[in-house]
Amino acid sequence: MIDRLLETARRKLDGADALWRRAEQTAVAFESGRLKAAGISEEAGLNLRVLSQGRMGVAGTTAAKPDPEALLERARASAELGEVVDLAFPKAAGSELPPIPTYFDRTANASLDDLIALGRMLVERLARPDCQINVSVEREVDATAVGNTAGARGEYRGTGIAVTADVTRIAGDDVLMVYDQYVGADMPSDADLEALIRSIETRLSAALTIVTPPDGSLPVVFTPAGLAAVVLPLEQALSGKTVLQGSSPLAGKVGAVMFDERLSIIDDPLTPGRPASRPVDDECVPSRATGLVERGAVGRFVYDLETAARAKTQSTGNGRRGIFGKPHIGYTNVLFRIGDGMGGRHGVPRPTPDLGGGLIADLDDGLIVDDLIGVGQGNVISGAFSHPVGLAYRVQRGEVTGRVKDAAVAGNAYDLLKRIGGVGTDGRWLGSRWSPSLLLEGVSVARR
Amino acid sequence: MKDRLATAVKQSRADYTEIRVERTWSSAVAFRGWRLETATVSEDQGGFVRVLNRGCGWGIASFTSLDELPAMVSRANELSRAVRMEEPIRLADTTPVVADAKLDLDGDVRGIRLGDKKQLLEAYNGAMLAVSKSIVDTQASYRDEVSEVWYANSEGAALYQLRPEVVVSGTAIGRRNGTIEKGLESIGLRKGWRSVRGFEERFRVVAQRAVDLLDAPRVRGGAYPVILDNELAGVFIHEAFGHLSEADFVYENPQAREMMTLGRRFGKRVLNAGDNGAAAGLRGTLPFDDEGTPTQDTPLIREGILVGRLHSRETAAKLGERPTGNARAISFRHPPIVRMTNTYIAPGKAGVGFNDLIRDIKLGVYACGAFGGQTMLENFSFTAGWGYMIRDGQVAELVKDVVLAGNLFQTLDRIDHIAGDFTWNQMGGGCGKGGQFPLPVTEGAPHVRIEEALIGGDV
Repeated sequence: MIDRLLETARRKLDGADALWRRAEQTAVAFESGRLKAAGISEEAGLNLRVLSQGRMGVAGTTAAKPDPEALLERARASAELGEVVDLAFPKAAGSELPPIPTYFDRTANASLDDLIALGRMLVERLARPDCQINVSVEREVDATAVGNTAGARGEYRGTGIAVTADVTRIAGDDVLMVYDQYVGADMPSDADLEALIRSIETRLSAALTIVTPPDGSLPVVFTPAGLAAVVLPLEQALSGKTVLQGSSPLAGKVGAVMFDERLSIIDDPLTPGRPASRPVDDECVPSRATGLVERGAVGRFVYDLETAARAKTQSTGNGRRGIFGKPHIGYTNVLFRIGDGMGGRHGVPRPTPDLGGGLIADLDDGLIVDDLIGVGQGNVISGAFSHPVGLAYRVQRGEVTGRVKDAAVAGNAYDLLKRIGGVGTDGRWLGSRWSPSLLLEGVSVARR
Repeated sequence: MKDRLATAVKQSRADYTEIRVERTWSSAVAFRGWRLETATVSEDQGGFVRVLNRGCGWGIASFTSLDELPAMVSRANELSRAVRMEEPIRLADTTPVVADAKLDLDGDVRGIRLGDKKQLLEAYNGAMLAVSKSIVDTQASYRDEVSEVWYANSEGAALYQLRPEVVVSGTAIGRRNGTIEKGLESIGLRKGWRSVRGFEERFRVVAQRAVDLLDAPRVRGGAYPVILDNELAGVFIHEAFGHLSEADFVYENPQAREMMTLGRRFGKRVLNAGDNGAAAGLRGTLPFDDEGTPTQDTPLIREGILVGRLHSRETAAKLGERPTGNARAISFRHPPIVRMTNTYIAPGKAGVGFNDLIRDIKLGVYACGAFGGQTMLENFSFTAGWGYMIRDGQVAELVKDVVLAGNLFQTLDRIDHIAGDFTWNQMGGGCGKGGQFPLPVTEGAPHVRIEEALIGGDV
C-alpha cells in the first residue's frame, strides 16, 4: 500500500513519509459480574506527510481503497499553508532493525471463548457480598508499515491484551472503587492474574475502615498508580516540544542535577513483552532507549523528526502518528530505575502485595496515595499539583489504619523528587510505565 | 445509503439489529506559538452494528470498511450468540421514527478555503501573543466538521442527521523565571463559519489573565464559602451530579439504586437541575440520540429533590422508566452509552444577582472558569481557571491554583443561594466516559453559592 503511494510522491514532491496501520480488536465485557457484551472492531488507515517546496503537509484517510493521487493532493494543499521545515527523512538502515518480539501467537490466537474464560475466572475470584464487579478483556492484533522517500522501510506486527477489573462497593453514601489492570503483549501468566487479584483484594480490605485524614505537611507514599500526578509534569517537561516552545522548566538544564541522585528514568521501546515496544518508530527511526533522567541529572529530551530538525539534534525515535494529523512526540515504555539496589528490577517477579511497598514501617503519621482525582487538569507543567484523594490510606505508627476521604494533597513534583525518602519493593507495570512506590516527604495534606 | 442500511437490517438473523454509519468531513488548523503546526482536511467514515438475541448479550462490530457491512452484521450476530445470559436484556419501547434531521450549516465550512481558516486562527493566536513578552507559548486550534449519520434498526427506525460543528480554542502560557501560568479560552458551537469570527477580545483577555496570575499568590487550602461563576457552576453540576444521574451507574447495582432513590433530598429548595438534549442550537443538542430516541428536557432535581435520571433504552427497561434520549456514542467506533447532553442548574429568582450572593461573606473564594473536572462517584474535583478572595463582602485579590474537592452529597446540600443570571457555556472539548472522549456537551448555570467547600492548596 505505502510503496505505491511513496513512489508517486517521490516523482511529484520533495519528499514524503507514510504510515499504514491495521488493527483488529476483540473485547468482552462483564458488567456486575455477568457477561454482557462481546465486540470486534476493525480499522485500517493511511497517514501521509509530504514536503513540498520545503513546506510540510499531512493527510489521512480511513477509506477502504484510498486513492493515492487524491490523498497526495490533499497533503500538498496542506503543505501550501505549512511552515518551512528542514526535515531529513532517515535513510534505509544499513543493518537490520533491532530484534524485538512484539507479536505473540498465544495472544493473537486466543479464541473468544478463551477471553470469556479469562474474564469469568476473575469475576468468580473477586466476588464478594455487596460488591459489584466489572471485568473487561480486550485483545488487539495489529500490523504496521512505515516508509519514506529516502528508502527506509519498517514493518512489524504486534499484539496486546488488557485485562481490567474494578470492584465497587456502596455502603450508604460511601462509594469505594478499587481498580487494577494487566497490560501486556503476551497473555497474562497465572502469576500475573494472581497479582491482579491480590492487588485488588489488598487495597479493598484495607479500605473497609474509614479513618480521619491527617492534616499538615506529611510523608506520603505514592504507589505506582498514585505517582501519576508526580510523573506527568516530568513527562511534559522532558518533551523536546515543550523545550523548544520555552515552556519547559527543565530547558537548558541538561546535565544539571535536579532530582534525587538515585533517580534514573528511561524511555525504552525495546522492553520485551510490552505493547508499546516496537523495532522502529512511526517515522522510520530505529528504536533505542533514551535516558531521560540519569542519576538525578536531566538526560536527553525526547524528539520526533520535526522537533529534532528545529532543535538541530537527532530524533530519539519517539515519533508517533495516528491516521489523522501530523506525527508528534510520544513516550514508549517509561521505566523508573532507582539506583540503590532497592525498588526491584523490571522482570523480577513478584512485587510484595503489601500496601506501601514496605515503606511504612518507620512512618509515625502519613498517607499512602493510590489514586488522585483530576490528575492532568490545571497547570501540569509547572510541577504544582493539588488533588482530592480518590483512594488513599492513613498510616499511623507504621500500620495502615484505614481509608481516608475528604482530603486533598498538594505539592510540587520538582521539589518533592529532590529527595526520595524511600523506594518500595513493589515495582510493577502500570500501562506503559514501570515504577515502584516512592516515599516523598513534606507533602501538603488538607482535610475538611 | 439508507437502502444499504435497510437491506442489511432486513438480512440480519438477530432478534434486534441496529446499524449506524457515519461520514465526517473535517478540517483543522493549529498554531503553537508563532508557528503553524498543521492545516489539514480529513475524511473519516465507518460503521457500527449492534445486535441482540433472546437469552444472549450484545454482539458488537465496528469497522472502517463499509463494503463489509453485511459480513459485520453476521459477525455481530455470532458474537451475541456467544454471550449467554440468564436474565435477558430488554429494551424499553420507543416509537420508531423515520426522519431526516438536517441542522442549519450556518455557512458550510466545506466551502471555505483552508487558508481563510488559518488566517482567522492566526488573528486569535496573535491576539494572545501580543499581550505581553511574558506570553512565551500559545496553543491555538480551529476545528470544524460536517457529519452525516445514518441510523436504522429492525423495529423500523430510519434516520438521517446532518450536523455541523466548529470549535476554536486557545491556551496562553505565561512565564516569568520559574513561574508558569496559563489562560484558556474555548468556544464550541453546533454552527458553521458564520458564527466563529470576531472573538479576538476573548483571546486577549485570557492571555492577560495568564500574565496577571504570574504575580498572584496560591490560594491557601481549607474550607471556605465559595461562589462559583456561571462556567464553573456548569462544570460542577455536570461533574458532581450529572454523572451519578446517568442510569447505567445504578441500574445493575442495588446499593447505588438505594443511594439514588427518586424522592431523596439532594439539596435545599433553591436547587433545580436538569439535562436538555432538545435545547435549541447548543453543542450538546441533537434531535435523536444514537438509539434513535428523540431527545427531551429531563428534570433531575426539583426544589432539592431527586426527580429523574438519564436513560438509554436498556437502562430504562431495567428500571421501569422511560427512555430520555441520552444514549450517545462519540463515533462509529463506539457503542452508545448513557451520556449527558446540555446539563444545567436552573436560574434562581429573577433579579437576584452576584452582589446578593457575596454580600454577607466575610472570608471566601470566588472561583471562576474551569480548567477541567473529574468525578469518582461521590467524590469530585474541579480546577478553576482562576479565583479571587472574597473579603468583607467584596471581591479582593486574584489567587491561583483554586481546586475544589468535595463530596457530592455534602456539597449539593450546601448550595444555599442561586442567582438569576443564567448562561449556557458553549465550550469546545467535551466529556469523557468509558473510553469515549470528547463527547460534545454544554453546561449552563447562573452564579451559585456554596456555604462551605474544600479548596486544595498549601496549608
